[in-house]
Amino acid sequence: MGAAALRNGMVGLLLSGLLVSAAQARTLDTAFGEVDVTGTPEHVVTLYEGALDASLAAGVTPLGAVTTRGGDNVAEYVEAHLGDERPAIMGVVREINIEAVLEQRPDLILAPARLTEEQYQLLSRIAPTVVPPTQPIAPDNWKAEARLYGNALNRQDAIEDAISAVDQRAAELASALENAGVGGRAFVVRWMPGGPMVMSKNLFAAGLLDQVGLTVEDAGLVGERGVHSDVLSLENLSRVDGDWLFLATLNKDGREALEAAKQSSAFTRLDVVQRDQVVPVNGQLWSSANGPLAAQAILDDIEAALLP
Amino acid sequence: MPLRVARQRTQMTLLLTALVAVSLVSLLIGAGETGPLRALAVLAGSQDSDASFVVWQLRAPRTLIGIVVGMALGVAGALLQAVSRNPLAEPGLLGVSAGAAFAVALTLVMGASAATLRISVAQLGALVGCLCVLSVTRVRGVGSDPVRLVLAGAAFSGLLSSLTSLMLLYDQRAADEIRFWVIGSLSGRRLDDLAAMLPSMLVAAVAVVLMARPLAALALGERAASGLGHHPGLIRWCVVACVALLVGGATAMAGPIAFVGLVVPFAARAMAGPDIRRTLWFCLPIGPLMVLAADMIARVAVAPSELPIGVLTALCGAPVLVSVVRARRLPSL
Amino acid sequence: MLIEQRALVVSTGLCVALLCAGVLYLSLGSMALPVSAVLPALFGRGEMISVFTVQELRLPRLVAACLTGAAFALAGVLMQTLARNRLATPGIIGIDNGATAFAVASVVGMGVSLTPPAMALAGAATAAALTFGLVAGGGTQGYRFIVAGIGVGAVFGAVTQLMLARVAIDTANAAYPWTVGSLNARPGDAVGLLAVGLGAGVIAACVVARPLSLMRFKDATAYGLGVNVKARRFQVLMLSVVLTALAVAVAGPVGMVGLIGPEIARSLSSSRQVPLLASTLAGALVMVLADLAGRTLLAPIEIPVGIVTAVIGGPWLLWILMRPQRSHA
Repeated sequence: MGAAALRNGMVGLLLSGLLVSAAQARTLDTAFGEVDVTGTPEHVVTLYEGALDASLAAGVTPLGAVTTRGGDNVAEYVEAHLGDERPAIMGVVREINIEAVLEQRPDLILAPARLTEEQYQLLSRIAPTVVPPTQPIAPDNWKAEARLYGNALNRQDAIEDAISAVDQRAAELASALENAGVGGRAFVVRWMPGGPMVMSKNLFAAGLLDQVGLTVEDAGLVGERGVHSDVLSLENLSRVDGDWLFLATLNKDGREALEAAKQSSAFTRLDVVQRDQVVPVNGQLWSSANGPLAAQAILDDIEAALLP
Repeated sequence: MPLRVARQRTQMTLLLTALVAVSLVSLLIGAGETGPLRALAVLAGSQDSDASFVVWQLRAPRTLIGIVVGMALGVAGALLQAVSRNPLAEPGLLGVSAGAAFAVALTLVMGASAATLRISVAQLGALVGCLCVLSVTRVRGVGSDPVRLVLAGAAFSGLLSSLTSLMLLYDQRAADEIRFWVIGSLSGRRLDDLAAMLPSMLVAAVAVVLMARPLAALALGERAASGLGHHPGLIRWCVVACVALLVGGATAMAGPIAFVGLVVPFAARAMAGPDIRRTLWFCLPIGPLMVLAADMIARVAVAPSELPIGVLTALCGAPVLVSVVRARRLPSL
Repeated sequence: MLIEQRALVVSTGLCVALLCAGVLYLSLGSMALPVSAVLPALFGRGEMISVFTVQELRLPRLVAACLTGAAFALAGVLMQTLARNRLATPGIIGIDNGATAFAVASVVGMGVSLTPPAMALAGAATAAALTFGLVAGGGTQGYRFIVAGIGVGAVFGAVTQLMLARVAIDTANAAYPWTVGSLNARPGDAVGLLAVGLGAGVIAACVVARPLSLMRFKDATAYGLGVNVKARRFQVLMLSVVLTALAVAVAGPVGMVGLIGPEIARSLSSSRQVPLLASTLAGALVMVLADLAGRTLLAPIEIPVGIVTAVIGGPWLLWILMRPQRSHA
């Protein structure tokens, strides 16, 4: 009896030793302090679009995800990366259904930076919950976040590959654009009935535009922490008159928004409009998505629009 | 009596002068780099193309629209208050804003985009909201309880905004865009919008002129009005139709702007006395004055961006609301 | 004696209904548990996951639902009696809007360090104080307070919308529960505060019950029956405001419960007394059922409880409005 127990114990020790050498317990720095994750989680729930993106890029299809804005399912660009297994819906970003998360019995939860303390307390009792530390918005945030998520998933290499693939693609695109003579100042705006909102130059998409050789500006209208400016007065529209104007719209058909903007004489007076260098883009992807897959999708957009 | 008439004439002259002055200033100042001096040069005939674009293409239309919106809301408020005999009856408190927001949310959820949305949707919503409150509280019955109409409006607005939230819960895109639609603004409105709304507003204006006398009779009481050969029920519904046309048109042009319909008749009554006909005349200059003044603050307060005018009118309208109820008794109309 | 008996029956009935609703609440959800498993799980027996579901996820939420529903309804019935108007709920007269504006300000980071629940409490208090201050000297008539409250509420509403329009959508999302009212992951300390406040509130309400039932009549009548109308009015108003403020700090603006709860109670009780206890219980019942519906109807997407109560309460409200007016609420 005693010998058997000893033997079992030995086997257990050996096994756990093996597991540890295969997958070290990792300590992650999160917004709510240090979180330990062991092994390679397979049952993952993502409560944030950027986490879903990073997780798919790392090769893990989450069991659950929240819906994207503008729909009752995951974002459009994500669809292409989903196999037959689709993540179950865990509610919307505004109301995370904690019971639905529990039902998936996850061993890892990847959450958005803006998780409330109360939600974190509950979620972290279900599984280790990784919340990226909040920081001022910066174009490179997505890399740090993707690395954190990748580390939690124990797929650091896959994430590094995905990130360097984005960097490489951006570099290629940059030289192609340079050869084609495309460059200059660019603004990303959203068109509202009263006028445009200028998007921050610190946005994810703006960072990618920078990487391919454009200079993204926000005319000093967006504060340090802001994502977009207030609705700009039409009298000051010339402030967004650069070499390129990216017109983000949340509609499927960006042309429609462009037509609406063209109804305004203040808009059609802009040089950039008269040179026809206005690019309607998908606002959902350009202003809210995050992660390596989204980066590739945005680079697709840039390539299609800017390369002659 | 002649003394009073003379005083009112002076007041009217002053108001009209003030309106001209404010309209002029509205052409001169803005959020942009075109300062008053440059704008003045344009008015004097200078060839500065940037400045003349700003003055004639941007500031002139919004000034014009501001004037029309102010008149429409002021007159609508005065009418509604006269017919309901309730100094608190204000279109903005009666579900107009909530109705407009609800209609916009509905169309957004059904796939439209804020950038391409036709303003008529908001107009329709505003109308339906206003009519709902008025019809459920039965315009006839509210005379006995002025607060009832306001409560009904507040409750109805609450219901509509909850339904709006329910739709927005599903649709994040709409949630993102609606935020910019629920507060009124004069920025970026075009003269086309004004032209589209003008016919229906003119119809309302003619109707108001025709109804002024019966309305004044109605103020003497139902019996007196009937004795003078008027039909109180008919008058009421005509007035409500006029209010709907005026408020709907104003909301379609500028979005929901609350409290103008409360403050303007309040001021007009203070000057004109109890006669509804004089009150209506006084509303015509006072309404635009208030809207233009609020719009100018909206333009310069956070330049180079702009504030929505709806916030400003709410800020200056609420104190008036309070002072109305602070009066020892609600003045009966 | 007969009246007492009826009140007793109604209260007992509502208690039983609340208990049944509570059990259903604990058993239904994304993780459906058989009713037979609920009780053991409540006491920590059974599968780990069901114990966690019941004890950690559903029970705190159930408690929050009961307390907020009760507080809103009690505040509602007090204010309605005072104003002699069945539509006068604290939600309509701007206290909710004040709480929402302050909580949203906290979420969007307008340079305040207080948490949203604390800010909601501060906002409700500010709105109420403003309203009090504005009507001071203008008499303590119920309707003045209501209309001033609506005005104050309109200003706070406009400010909230302005704040929401100026921030990024992600921040607006974070502020969303505070604009509609929700019980999802609510702060524990605010619930504790509410529990204490509600206990004190119920006792205070019992004390004012008799004068209150006289205040339904004309002021002169009440005076004649020995009620110091002015002082009582102020006390009742304060009680109603404090209850609302505490509840709003937990659940956000769920004002409609303050309308529905008293309506149910009035239809069950005799008209000779103000149904304070019955309203309180009915409010809790409505809140529990509404949140249960919100959690389960469109699963996995949760509908915030504030929306459910508004959708139930809306038609009811229209019905009240359309019926011929009665002289006494």
